[in-house]
Amino acid sequence: MPHAMLSSPILAALNSGVIVIDDEYNIRYVNSFIERHGNMQLAEVQGSSLFSVFVDLPEAWLKRKLMSVLELKTPAFSSWEQRQYIFKLPHLRPITSSSQFMAQNCSMLPLDAPSGEQPLICILIEDATDAFVYQQHLSRTLIELEKANRQDGLTKIQNRRYWEEQLKQEIHRAQRYKHSLSLILFDLDKFKDLNDKYGHLGGDFVLVELASFISSLLRDSDLFGRYGGEEFGIILPDTGLEGAEEVAERICRAVADYPMLFNQQTIRTTLSIGVATFVPQQHFLHDDLIRCADMALYNAKRSGRNRVCCYQSGETEYHKKAN
Amino acid sequence: MNKLGFTEEQRDCLQEIINVAMGLASDKLARFLNTFVHLQVPSIALVGAMHIPAEFENRYQDAEAALISQGFFGNEGVRGEAIVLYKMENAHKISALLGYEPDDVSEIEMLTDISSILTTTFLNGLAAQIENSLSYSAPRILSSRHGNVADVLKNTSFHWEHALKVDISYQLVDHSFNCDMILLIPGEAVTNIKNILDRILEAF
Repeated sequence: MPHAMLSSPILAALNSGVIVIDDEYNIRYVNSFIERHGNMQLAEVQGSSLFSVFVDLPEAWLKRKLMSVLELKTPAFSSWEQRQYIFKLPHLRPITSSSQFMAQNCSMLPLDAPSGEQPLICILIEDATDAFVYQQHLSRTLIELEKANRQDGLTKIQNRRYWEEQLKQEIHRAQRYKHSLSLILFDLDKFKDLNDKYGHLGGDFVLVELASFISSLLRDSDLFGRYGGEEFGIILPDTGLEGAEEVAERICRAVADYPMLFNQQTIRTTLSIGVATFVPQQHFLHDDLIRCADMALYNAKRSGRNRVCCYQSGETEYHKKAN
Repeated sequence: MNKLGFTEEQRDCLQEIINVAMGLASDKLARFLNTFVHLQVPSIALVGAMHIPAEFENRYQDAEAALISQGFFGNEGVRGEAIVLYKMENAHKISALLGYEPDDVSEIEMLTDISSILTTTFLNGLAAQIENSLSYSAPRILSSRHGNVADVLKNTSFHWEHALKVDISYQLVDHSFNCDMILLIPGEAVTNIKNILDRILEAF
């Protein structure tokens, strides 16, 4: 059997699209794949312009590619990763795929034409819908994974690891650009009593409820994270001590006035808040800022709770206990 | 070169073939881009693939660099992978020449187009001289971020014994553009290329 005779049945059976055009972009040939997916017959489209048959083609873009194929006699490519499809064709998984059209890898190949004849280009279209769908799943999963990696499982605000990373970056930025930066650390007052009274579910409920309530009081640029059990931190970029103290006072009052309804019981709680501001100096680490805010937080606790204390620079001793 | 078993004649022959291929490629590019293309004699070196990352580490250390890979395969066991490396600042210059509007295409598409044109015009010229013809895979971007060129190359060249390094420097009249091209060629393909070179040498 001569090989030439095989071409035709193979082209008909091929699960890829084949379109042959000449240098005036007129269609010379389409295989069965294109006939079926494009709902057309070779006899109808033969001799017609590629751009009149496939009216949705990105004409300027495609012509530039085809021109390089003709002039340089080199192949040109298009990947679904950059351009999901060139030819608007339905694909074979209309149910299980989220995309409406066939994702495609296209190759545009120069064909050897006998001298004197019009040069031809073969456009090969491979269905990449499966790869496209997998890629979409993968991207979604990666985004979720990244989110999960940053989030505190209970309160859905930033977890400690990610929050501390942010703090390091913010300190770096403040140091470099000479911006102000403040840190608020706060702790729920007598959380243990709350747990004893309402059970751990009640305690957890309060943490979740407060995290979401306090988030609503913050600016978009503030970075709110769960530091430990009932201890939280807020990074306030571009904010000096005065501004941070104001934010802290607002949170302190708002939380004290915020009743939470758990199992038909109203729970109220208060916060002790420590505020510290970043002092631009060499070798100032995020640990230093946390230590300062922590000292202020303990001072707030020792002077009676439900209040804000600011760290005064140079301070190394805790306040005496109030009662 | 000799360490990897190329004789002096084979090396000269390969250099000559590459020179001519570069000439053909630059001629085609000049016509296509409608500008004059100056071309320096490309320097070639056959090196162990493991040395490649270090070779490029310094040159691309501080710049935003792009690496695009494209596989090629022909008759008589000629096959390999071409990697084009360039600094992003250069890519923007040539994309303007290719007629891209800034918002027209994604950066990645622009990069793959440029490298595909550079690689295939050059390799087609090379194939024509050894009476071969090559097919190509679609170009794929390996990296377009700065800093980690050496890392990407380390991961890439892991499977390759030898690499034929071709330094290409394209100078366009109004624009200065240069890039590096590395042809990574697996061991047995190097042997096949040597056989082809011997055949060409015999014919002279």
